[in-house]
Amino acid sequence: MDKMRFLKGCAFGAIVSLALVAAAEAHHSYGATYNVKDQVKIEGELVQFQFRNPHSFVHIEAPDEHGEMQRWSVEWSGTATLTRQGINRATLRPGDEVILTGRPSRAPGERRLLMVTLLRPADGLSWGQRPDEVTD
Amino acid sequence: MDRVVCGKLSAVCALALLVGFPVQAQILIGRDRTPPDLAGEWVWQVDEDPGQPPYGDYLGVPFNDAGRLRADTTAESLWGSPEFRCRPHSMPHQWRGIGGARFIKQLDPLTRVPVAYHVQFWRSLDRPIYLDGRAHPPGYAPHSWTGFSTGEWIGDTLVVTTTHIKDGFLKRGGPQTSDMYSMTEYLTRHDEYLTITQIVDDPIYLAEPFVQTTNYALDIDSSVTMESCVTSALGDMGGDDPHFVPHFLPDQNPYVTEWLEDQDWIPEQAARGGAETLYPGYAAGAANRLASFPISPTAVDIEARIASQAPRDGEVHVLPVQGNIFLLVADGTNITASVGPDGVLLVNTGSAQMTSKVIETVSDLAERVAASPRPNSCMGAQCPGFPYGWASPAFNSIAASPAPARPIRYIVNTSAAEVHTAGNARLSAEGFFQRRGGTNVLGAPSNASIIAHENVLIAMSSPNRPGGDLPPESWPTDTYFYKFQKLSEYFNGEGIVVYHEPAANTDGDSIVMFRQSEVISAGDIFSTVSYPFIDVDGGGTIRGVLDGLNHIIDLSVAEYRSQGGTWVIPSHGRVADVADVASYRNMVTMVRDRVASLKDQGMTLEQVLAAGLTRDFDGRYDTYDPDWTADRFVAAVYRTLD
Repeated sequence: MDKMRFLKGCAFGAIVSLALVAAAEAHHSYGATYNVKDQVKIEGELVQFQFRNPHSFVHIEAPDEHGEMQRWSVEWSGTATLTRQGINRATLRPGDEVILTGRPSRAPGERRLLMVTLLRPADGLSWGQRPDEVTD
Repeated sequence: MDRVVCGKLSAVCALALLVGFPVQAQILIGRDRTPPDLAGEWVWQVDEDPGQPPYGDYLGVPFNDAGRLRADTTAESLWGSPEFRCRPHSMPHQWRGIGGARFIKQLDPLTRVPVAYHVQFWRSLDRPIYLDGRAHPPGYAPHSWTGFSTGEWIGDTLVVTTTHIKDGFLKRGGPQTSDMYSMTEYLTRHDEYLTITQIVDDPIYLAEPFVQTTNYALDIDSSVTMESCVTSALGDMGGDDPHFVPHFLPDQNPYVTEWLEDQDWIPEQAARGGAETLYPGYAAGAANRLASFPISPTAVDIEARIASQAPRDGEVHVLPVQGNIFLLVADGTNITASVGPDGVLLVNTGSAQMTSKVIETVSDLAERVAASPRPNSCMGAQCPGFPYGWASPAFNSIAASPAPARPIRYIVNTSAAEVHTAGNARLSAEGFFQRRGGTNVLGAPSNASIIAHENVLIAMSSPNRPGGDLPPESWPTDTYFYKFQKLSEYFNGEGIVVYHEPAANTDGDSIVMFRQSEVISAGDIFSTVSYPFIDVDGGGTIRGVLDGLNHIIDLSVAEYRSQGGTWVIPSHGRVADVADVASYRNMVTMVRDRVASLKDQGMTLEQVLAAGLTRDFDGRYDTYDPDWTADRFVAAVYRTLD
């Protein structure tokens, strides 16, 4: 019985590890794309939420450092990870006022971020505060 | 006695069996001795460097200076651009992508002799490795993400040679490749293990070939799956400019040595790569380092390879492209031909000394494509397509003489450049275009129509034309001055649209789109052998060239995984697809931004030229055309910046 549970655990662990590797490998390297040692904060209106694999994306209309309105593309985890963390396709809606923090793109002039935290003040929805709430 | 005889007989029989059986085993009736079979499912043994090193980790990369600059200035987020989003892993990295590999053996159904191995990865296209001795394609043929591979067994090792590969990344973390490299792979099977030794020979970015080995193990209990591409992800880059090119200016990428903060035992100089850093005797900081090591020379004659895309050999080479469209490479200059039942449409006519050979080639093509008799495939009076008489098609196609091919009916000039218009008069005269009243604008009865933007007519017919007057027979006969001009009716079964690209190479450039064949003839806006030509005095600008390239990108659709689909024929060089045009656009954008940055700082043209802003691209685009050098291109960019 214990052995069975152990084997099941191993199998689950292997699947999770594979999924994590797959996410890390998919498309591009987070570390190479984003400056993971830096963080910016934007506050604005959600334009669209693409809940999908391999990565989800949140698009925000928010001002940049010069006060000019920009369309930001914020990269988030895939659907399996977000679902485990209580986020689903209907969690965020166009028009939501949100406050985000994220890792900026390394490339100058690019309006994309890697999600670190999300807060919707209207109802207090937040993501990124718990240890497991990390974009993968 | 009987028992003795029987025993002796048994002994003889047994001996015969013992002698005979091995003979039969060695003969292997119905089976040939072959090299080890690679067919099956293989999983990567991650016992080498990780597949995804940190950003800026150039350890072990035998860069030359151009390669290091290219890596420093290229942004990883280029993956997010619409033209590259679905690209597979690059060929040098593919063996180290996750998901393992599948080898499928393709056999000749008649002889069961292996024709090819097909290799598949999690994120890949099918990659054939031909074993049947076929030649590699000519230089003007398209490149793909997987390239064109041929294999040959040497003992138990399959040696694979790959050319015609698109540009991409040498390994994760920044290092890039050109699109001109060769890759040689040695696939050696040891029982259940497979070792792949790769040699990437890219003299544009590497001082010596890059070598790496990767090991796989046979695994019959799993199989490679397919990673689908996220084609719906259209806005992942942020911002509102779909043509945004992320990149770093030279010496302004602060991140490439960031990873050393946690690895301070590695000298920065070694971490920046270079051939000498690969050798055991290397010591960071030593003087004259490169000269003191036995650097392996490249086996690629890079200038010859680039020139093979546009061979200046006095001949006309023909490459079928797609649908009705053929590429004619006339002494290095491309002519696009639509050939079919309605006749011939040419985009440009080449240089004067090639006109006779172009006429001969076009006539031959038209005859073979649209007028050659075909073997009969229907008997009797009810065959489709022959409603007019009693004779079966056999009479018409074999016994009877076929109708002559229809002539050249249209010529489109993408600009007034002599290299594209010098054959106008003679090729037009060879053609036929029926006009109301039976004559054309010159009073001649039948010359083919010559279509161009009206600024081409102005340039060619101007009394003050540099170089003197051109014969009126060579001038465009049908001009347009709107954003585009559609042919008034289908030609060879498709619509054809001529788009004006304002202030690009000149003030009169056009591109031509064949809507059913999915081919764009790009004129001088796109070349795969040189920087884009900008005739500043003729109204050309860098902004117009980039707008033209982005327009071609907007009109083009990839067939699958960011390659194929719409084919783009440049003025000079190989047939390309949307990813190739995007790669070229990226290069032009990077150079434009570099020049603009220094000009904004108040630098003179001489100072900008001295800065060597194109040195990571010069090996690729500054060797073919001595009349259009990197300096002339940079000067044109400098003079026409917004």
